[in-house]
Amino acid sequence: MKEKLGKLVENLDYTLLSAVVILCFYGLLVLYSSTRSGLGSIPEDPFFYVKRQFLWMVVGFIGLAILVFIDYHHFVKYSSLLYFLTVFLLIIVMFFGRTTYGARRWLSLGPFDFQPSEFAKVALIIFLADFLAKNKLKLDNFLYFLWPFAYTGVLMFLVFIQPDLGTSLVYLAILIILLFVVGVKLKYLATVFLIALSSFPILWFFLLKEYQKRRIILFLNPQLDPLGGGYNIIQSKIAIGSGGFLGKGLLGGLQSQLKFLPAQHTDFIFSVVGEELGFVGAILLLGLYTVVLWRGIKIASEARDLLGALLATGAVSFLFFHIMVNMGMAMGVLPATGLPLPFLSYGGSFMVSNLLVIGILLNVEVHKIKW
Amino acid sequence: MKESSTVPEEVKQRINWLLIFIIVSFCFLAINLWYLQVIKGEEFKERAVKNCIRSLVEEAPRGHIYDRKGEVLVTNRPVVVVSIIPEEVENLEELSKRLGGIIDLPEEVIREKVEKHSAEPFKPVEILEDCPLALTIEIEERKTELKGVVLEVKPRRNYLNQELAAHSLGYVGEIDQEELQKLGNPQLQGGDIVGKAGLEKYYDSFLRGKKGQKEVEVDALGREVATLFSQKPVAGNDLLLTMDKDLQTYAENLLEGKRGSIILSHPYSGEILVLANKPSFDPNWFTEEISYADWEKISLDPDYPLINRAVQSIYSPGSTFKIVTALAALEEGVTDSQRKIYCSGNFKLADQVFTCWKRGGHGNLNLIGALAHSCNVYFYTLGKELGVQKMGRYMDKLGLGEKVGIDLPAEATGVIPSPEWKQREFKEIWFPGDDVNLSIGQGYLLLTPLQMHSIICAVATAGDIYRPHLVKEIISPEGEVFEKTEPEISKKVNISANTFQLIQKGLRATILEGTGWQANTKELSLAGKTGTAQNPQGESHAWFVGFAPLEKPEVCITVFVENGGEGGEVAAPLAREMLEKYFNLPEPE
Ligand SMILES: [Zn+2]
Repeated sequence: MKEKLGKLVENLDYTLLSAVVILCFYGLLVLYSSTRSGLGSIPEDPFFYVKRQFLWMVVGFIGLAILVFIDYHHFVKYSSLLYFLTVFLLIIVMFFGRTTYGARRWLSLGPFDFQPSEFAKVALIIFLADFLAKNKLKLDNFLYFLWPFAYTGVLMFLVFIQPDLGTSLVYLAILIILLFVVGVKLKYLATVFLIALSSFPILWFFLLKEYQKRRIILFLNPQLDPLGGGYNIIQSKIAIGSGGFLGKGLLGGLQSQLKFLPAQHTDFIFSVVGEELGFVGAILLLGLYTVVLWRGIKIASEARDLLGALLATGAVSFLFFHIMVNMGMAMGVLPATGLPLPFLSYGGSFMVSNLLVIGILLNVEVHKIKW
Repeated sequence: MKESSTVPEEVKQRINWLLIFIIVSFCFLAINLWYLQVIKGEEFKERAVKNCIRSLVEEAPRGHIYDRKGEVLVTNRPVVVVSIIPEEVENLEELSKRLGGIIDLPEEVIREKVEKHSAEPFKPVEILEDCPLALTIEIEERKTELKGVVLEVKPRRNYLNQELAAHSLGYVGEIDQEELQKLGNPQLQGGDIVGKAGLEKYYDSFLRGKKGQKEVEVDALGREVATLFSQKPVAGNDLLLTMDKDLQTYAENLLEGKRGSIILSHPYSGEILVLANKPSFDPNWFTEEISYADWEKISLDPDYPLINRAVQSIYSPGSTFKIVTALAALEEGVTDSQRKIYCSGNFKLADQVFTCWKRGGHGNLNLIGALAHSCNVYFYTLGKELGVQKMGRYMDKLGLGEKVGIDLPAEATGVIPSPEWKQREFKEIWFPGDDVNLSIGQGYLLLTPLQMHSIICAVATAGDIYRPHLVKEIISPEGEVFEKTEPEISKKVNISANTFQLIQKGLRATILEGTGWQANTKELSLAGKTGTAQNPQGESHAWFVGFAPLEKPEVCITVFVENGGEGGEVAAPLAREMLEKYFNLPEPE
């Protein structure tokens, strides 16, 4: 046992691990800069947010460590249980969740708030990877191919009504990428895409809430309403753009320090990076993400079996979708869906889920050899 | 114990495609970053600064205006302005409804005003100027439900005596585009209050003061975080006038119900004690937001209440102009103290007949008698003998045709006819009959009451015309005299003292035994001349010009009543009352 543990530690992907650790500290630094002068009614302590975020990081790394050492072949046995537990939690949240900013997303656990929809991302990766690896061949049947959509759809629906459009899109992205990687017929994917596209009007007129429609309209023309929703995007662009090549220095951002950026410690934290650390800082960040995703892809293609490959792919697609949508939103090139940025955005559940999927990656990596 | 991977090749291939997709996506992000931060960086830097630095302007109170005894005529009073900062409004419709209910303004009006200014969301939009105290208190009390509404205190011009001396004081208003360009002062900007007429306009640069400026850094909620630069406003300079409020009030009462002017000044300094015009207006109207209907009513009033008649309107001077004819004739040797001319009541020129106002004729008269009785035939004769060229030379010497130079804007210069002028205006030659008409101040000649006043001043001082002025001193906000108007001879009339003496005698005779007898007071040695100017607009204009005392002139007076009738009957009594007031004489029974 001890010998096995030693071997595992020896074989860890330290490139990936270092990139993640650097990202975490990079995140704490930026978080400090964007929250040190207090936000709204929050206490005066300039380290209030940093301390809390660090605590969650510790929790996340503990979770990661545990996850690394349980061979993924063991824990996928509980994937169905995991899935139904998630559905259960999401239903609980529907009735007992705490509401903030008009969305019911949180469950209170003592002094901390827990966000089941974040936990669901990890659960969905495990569940789908297991399901697809087992049923790869059956997926040639179009009707069977729709099954994973049904499973994912349940989660999407439960999150969508919170309402949290962004997160439900994350689930969909994980599913689509996994289906693609597992090798389903591309024409099936195309068919689903066409159905989705043609159902868009239904979505628009019956399902999307007014604020969600406005977000999409505003994405198309943010100047339309400079003080409403579009204000965020304009302010974010001003912040990033004004950072220039080298940035205004940490704590030196006019926009960030004067709090022109809404949600600058969560969804718009990249704007603070752009303004204070400039092009150099933003590219450095993008580079760190590239390292993480590249190692993730490498782990996927070198995995021992299809299950490992799919688990790693799921982890990669989760991180990738968040990074892409968040940065794109901050730069105003993608609609504002309100997704946080991995390892940087403030938020305990999200931080933990980020580290857990890194745990999955490392797990697949160290178990590519049968011990 | 290594086992080879069982991942199908097909899956590995698709994973590679995913990698390519990720790389392409990240390149897309990187290119966007480059565009935003490096290519557009400078532009966004400017916008970021604009976003957080707000320039606030504190208005400077305009200088006060005092009469010569230091009594306040014009001051500022603080008014409460209700404004809305668009950025801070959460629900404009709701707010408009609430605020509209308090200040009794339709909610659509408020909404429109705010929406019109949405391009500058941090700049307060004025909703109500001069909010009454009770409403101010109510707004203050309900502040929490009126988020976005701010109350500001601003100075507003206050003319304490309403119509009194309105034409001299003038009024203020918002600067217009034309003035912005003409004044060319970088401190001025749209929305600023500047002088629009009268002294307010003439002395605007002194009265205006210097706006205060404050540059503050604000956070996203518009709260001031730091002051980057601050300059306190500097109040404008005060004006101490030469005008005497009591005399001015008295003069305006004399003119009540008439259209006309009274000017009273010191001939040896040019200080104007009275510059009264009727009908008048209340300059306070213009400090409020005047409605188009009101503006139309004032500006289209057939009595032209906005016109400063004494300075801006031109009229036939009538017989008062005989002073000038007499001056020219004496200097040119056309007449002397002895020459007598017979007046039969008619004057024949070729086939034209000009009449004296006294049908039966004056008989034999010398110059003094002719002035006293205002005999037209005597002056027709002089005019015919002098001719327009020589007459013109003396009009020139007296400064007619130029501005007198009073410290008020838009002074008129009159119409000074000459053969060239007639040719230009009417394409006609100058007839001998025109000489005759000119000699008694009729025909083409048109002068302002102020120009006539300037002539009588020249007679009083025997040739020195002092620049007439309304402002005695300009006083800094600290109370120091910033500029003092020294008496200045603006025109030295090159005419012999003997000539002036003779004219003075004639004008004294006018009061004692001639047409000006109704101006006579036995305690005062007044000299003067009446005038009854026929004009195409109807009833004659009544004139009186004079000075007193004869021996050592202290004041000059001009009374003009538009379409008032006979000068001797209408203008002369007004002059007497005015002078009795000035010299503190007992009212005659
Ligand atoms: Zn006569």
